[in-house]
Amino acid sequence: MKQRAVWGIIVIAGTLLVQGCTAPEPTQDLLALTESQMKIRSVQTRTFDVRDRQLAMRGVIAALQDLGFIIERANEPLGLVTAARFAEPNYYDVVGVTVTVRQATEGRMMIRANAIYNNKPIEDPKVYQNFFATLERSLFITKE
Amino acid sequence: MGTCLLLSSQLAACVSHTQPVELFQLTPESPRNKAMQTRFFETKDEAELLSASAAVLQDLGFQVEESVQDVGFLRATKERSAREYGQDIGRFFAFVLSLGKFVMPVDLHQKIAATLIARPINPEATRQEVRIMFYRIVWKGDGQADRQYIPPGQQKMEMLRDPVMYQQFFAKLSKAVFLEPFTL
Repeated sequence: MKQRAVWGIIVIAGTLLVQGCTAPEPTQDLLALTESQMKIRSVQTRTFDVRDRQLAMRGVIAALQDLGFIIERANEPLGLVTAARFAEPNYYDVVGVTVTVRQATEGRMMIRANAIYNNKPIEDPKVYQNFFATLERSLFITKE
Repeated sequence: MGTCLLLSSQLAACVSHTQPVELFQLTPESPRNKAMQTRFFETKDEAELLSASAAVLQDLGFQVEESVQDVGFLRATKERSAREYGQDIGRFFAFVLSLGKFVMPVDLHQKIAATLIARPINPEATRQEVRIMFYRIVWKGDGQADRQYIPPGQQKMEMLRDPVMYQQFFAKLSKAVFLEPFTL
């Protein structure tokens, strides 16, 4: 009787252990568009009255430089700019940002920014508001 | 020594993290940095300005890693030793004073990088702006505290904001393009 109880415990412990070994299955809606994703996209996107895409890209680059970002990569045909900066004054944290410039309609450019803080996406709308405020100023100066 | 270390590590943990919100805002230092990093040239030839910049960076020992002519972009890096005598002396005294229990990690290697943007600033494109930013990444060597090994490779990153560095770069660039740079 006692032996059976011991065996039972071993079997249960064994199954628990095996269970622990399996990686968690990715959920079905991993790539599905959730409401929060839609919201974050609208926060990250803004359209500007700029005709020339290259002009808009140069404005984006200038704005990022004004904010102290290091431009890491730029791709003109794709309208892509990648930049990063150290979270000064502590030099161990990094903020990265990717900006894409696409034509929305004739004479209007759609600009989208994605920012990460140490590989964690930034979802605070205030961050993007601040960025677009600087960008607006930069585009305005570039346009005149 | 152990208590001292514990105390300092706890103090280090108290350093507040800068919030991302602040990092996307212009600061009072932004215009000053911009002025230091920027010069204007009276020329129509953006491509010439960009290639001259690449040449100057090469003269300074940089390797150009990335270039996009359409947006006037260049990124170049150079790797150098980061050894400093001061740190080695500090390491020696820390070692002696801790009776051989503490080996302080020192800066071993650094990567100095520059990103440069050239762009026209008026619609006729007769005036160009060149803005360059220098920064560096430093790797520390290994150390030891009591029995605890401090592995090598810990990184430190910083923007380089020494005005002399920027002045020297622009002095070389103006010689290369035969133009007198000016500030606004």
